Amino acid sequence: MSEHPAGGGVRSPAGQLHRIALVDVNSFYVSCERAFDPRLEGVPVVVLSNNDGCVVARSDEAKALGIKTGEPWFKLAEAAPHLGLIQRSSNYELYGDLSSRVMELLGRYALWQEVYSIDESFLGLAGTPRELDTQGARIRAAVARNTGLPVCVGIGPTKTLAKFANRIAKQNEHLNGVCNLDTMDPGAVATIMSRVPVTGLWGVGAKLGKRLEAMGIRTVADLKAADPSVIRSRFSVTLQRTVLELNGTPCLPLEEERADRQQLIFSRSFSVPVTTAAEMRQVMSIYAQQAASRLQREHQQARVLTAYAGTSHFSHKAASFPSVTVKLQSPTSDPVVLTRAAVGALEDQIVEGVPYTKAGVMLSGLSDAGAQPVLDAFVPEQEHRHLGELLGKVADKYGSASIGLGVAGMPSARPEWTMSRKYSSPRYTTVWDELPVVTAR
Amino acid sequence: MPVFNVSGTSRSASVSDADAASGFPSPSRDYFDGRIDLNRHLIRDVTSTYIVRVSGDSMSGTGISDGDELIVDRSLTPRDGSVVVAVLDGELTVRRLRLTGRGIVLAAENAEYRDVAVPDPAALTIWGVVTRCLHHV
Repeated sequence: MSEHPAGGGVRSPAGQLHRIALVDVNSFYVSCERAFDPRLEGVPVVVLSNNDGCVVARSDEAKALGIKTGEPWFKLAEAAPHLGLIQRSSNYELYGDLSSRVMELLGRYALWQEVYSIDESFLGLAGTPRELDTQGARIRAAVARNTGLPVCVGIGPTKTLAKFANRIAKQNEHLNGVCNLDTMDPGAVATIMSRVPVTGLWGVGAKLGKRLEAMGIRTVADLKAADPSVIRSRFSVTLQRTVLELNGTPCLPLEEERADRQQLIFSRSFSVPVTTAAEMRQVMSIYAQQAASRLQREHQQARVLTAYAGTSHFSHKAASFPSVTVKLQSPTSDPVVLTRAAVGALEDQIVEGVPYTKAGVMLSGLSDAGAQPVLDAFVPEQEHRHLGELLGKVADKYGSASIGLGVAGMPSARPEWTMSRKYSSPRYTTVWDELPVVTAR
Repeated sequence: MPVFNVSGTSRSASVSDADAASGFPSPSRDYFDGRIDLNRHLIRDVTSTYIVRVSGDSMSGTGISDGDELIVDRSLTPRDGSVVVAVLDGELTVRRLRLTGRGIVLAAENAEYRDVAVPDPAALTIWGVVTRCLHHV
């Protein structure tokens, strides 16, 4: 959309502020497990990585025991019973479903939405400072009510400040999970900024922190007060943006707007960067098929497909943001056509070895299926055979892992379905035979 | 074949297998508006609706049997008389909510089971409100 909220303290005539909220779920994986198993409330819980290798998520109680993210499970296994520690394998089906519920719900409260990862989303909000407080509280209550998941909401004029506000909300219980920088006491905000090390900021890692410290920049407040042009010349344009954002000038672009019903976006940030063209083909193939099944569900067709990928905005080397738009021969929701287009679009664009941290498939030019009369010659052959619908039916009957096109159909594209998950909870919301059990006793 | 899926990711097939096999669209497709989609009729909000399975017969008096599936909407406000899923001793439990003059009661619908009085309302977690029972006949 072109009419992005201006941010940066711009007031519309009605006295409304345009602000950015960062909403994320507290200890997302653990909270998903707890949403269906009340016995996990108040006890230390860890969720393990693929193949039950190491700890990827911890409840507050597990953190209090000194358990660290990345700790190998075999080192904890023996002590777990004595500690009262409960472990779960990663249940990606459950987390994925709850994530999509949260994201859909958040979208209802927002002018625009950028899903940033499985458990966090930027939202565009508008209102007076007090109204923004209320919106933050409402968002938090709605997610808790509909999904049982606890979220924190940080509201500020830029993404960097929204993320920082979210951190404040998380660490100060009396804020009830919502921190709006416009209604916080400015003195209190300044105090917090002068106490939080600069590495507590979004995108400032330990290495960069060390170099900054050598310049005497230790805290968030120090960086905020730094001269942007000096930061640019000594570090990077990226860090200069962070300085500007800390001072209320939005510099980080919005990546996607799902609120715009004229397009459909499947996009995620990767926790582990994708570095090869082969891997990227798998990602594109999976996204294109997800997009196709969404189109079919909504009885829509797309005319244009855009495939894109990108390195981190904070990456200081090897920036690469390929984006290719393909005009489809005729409006379609056919997974075969969409997959071929998505994979083909990025084929020559991916630089081997470059760490891509996000990728996506966007469909636009949407129309209702059948609304657009199509000359028979342009209807792809497999659409005659209803291959897309057949794929959908097989997936419904036997599970989404059972069938897929091209690389998405290969086990290697979906390692989570073949790995060991000894301590997995049931797939409560996606598999009929694994529904949560309620007792009637 | 309407496919029932709590996550709202149903794909109801709008052509028969015969059509798919024969390789050309059936002319009746033009008049086909899609079969009844249970998701549309039974799920008010996909973000807050869950399906659970019943174990036990304490609610048999209201037509909820062992092995039945329940549709639960977490976003509804429980009222006196609502059939709810409540957290009881760390378990998700289905009961009828009674708001009496002497406090909250989680009532069974089977004389063989005792009602459970809730002394401290603040300690009670209502997980969701049951909107439908998919009873196996």
